[in-house]
Amino acid sequence: MNEDLKRYICLGCGFLYDEALGLPEHGIEPGTRWADVPENWACPDCFTPKHRFEMVEIPYASGEPHLPRLGPILPPPEPSLHVI
Amino acid sequence: MKTSFVMRAGARGYNKLVSTGPLATYVSGHPEAVLTRHSSFNFGPYQAGRPGFGRLRVFGDEVFSGPGCGYNIHRHHNFIICAFVLQGELTHINTVGNIDQLTPGDYYVFSAGSGGKHCEVNLKNDDMHAIYMWFLPDQLLLPPSYTRNRFDALANRNRLVTLVGNADGALRLSQDVTVSRLSSDTEVGFDYTPRSASHGVYVFVLEGEVHCNDATLARRDSSGIWGAERINLRTGPQESDLLIVETAL
Repeated sequence: MNEDLKRYICLGCGFLYDEALGLPEHGIEPGTRWADVPENWACPDCFTPKHRFEMVEIPYASGEPHLPRLGPILPPPEPSLHVI
Repeated sequence: MKTSFVMRAGARGYNKLVSTGPLATYVSGHPEAVLTRHSSFNFGPYQAGRPGFGRLRVFGDEVFSGPGCGYNIHRHHNFIICAFVLQGELTHINTVGNIDQLTPGDYYVFSAGSGGKHCEVNLKNDDMHAIYMWFLPDQLLLPPSYTRNRFDALANRNRLVTLVGNADGALRLSQDVTVSRLSSDTEVGFDYTPRSASHGVYVFVLEGEVHCNDATLARRDSSGIWGAERINLRTGPQESDLLIVETAL
């Protein structure tokens, strides 16, 4: 993980925006900086405006974030040619 | 170096929310219910005050009036939400799986962690008064949890009791925070010693009068102090009740 990527918490409800993860379901790609999130964007859970988020330096709990990790795209495995 | 501020009751943010109109989906109650909230720190539209104190972000002094008044079920993450019931009866419902009814002295710690919803409602005709505190957690997306306990004011008269923190009988939470309460019916003086110079102490007067170092605090006044080796506190001769929140800064 790029250590420079920051996390921001909604002061209205605690919703987390992690720059490393983005919000792909809201059209915000992983790696999107907070500054590049549109100013009119609001918390998807409680509609608190963007300026009412606070940058936090808090580690994740064990096993979190529980999201599919986007790894490098690997070529498909070679078809096996074993003759049974 | 010791630093402090005093916040008078009237300097806090104030919201009056009604269960009809634009907030009808957020504020519960029928036919008309009124929820009032005095915020010590910035919350919602209140932006004239302090953003928080250490790990404390919300300190709300709230009253739910009218049948069914409260907050409809809504979602949280991460914040550790505590309620301390002062008057009336609070019904708390959460997606951890609890339906709880709390009366004066009862308090809970609801850690929303990786996601949890809750509903706060007064089902009785009498007003419900509670203090709500929100703390940042020390880890993000923890498993949601709910614990509750009771402060027995009579049995603990004139004694400082740890309600939340690392102490016998206290509720634990995943943050470097301690909440204590003193209910007195006579003058009680003592020195409160913070754990370190990097801990701040927020003193909030629920009832009565408290002398806090050089300041005299009346009902619902408060003071935040940090960088102090000890804090001198003395309650007034009449009945007094105070909450002390100690937090890493």
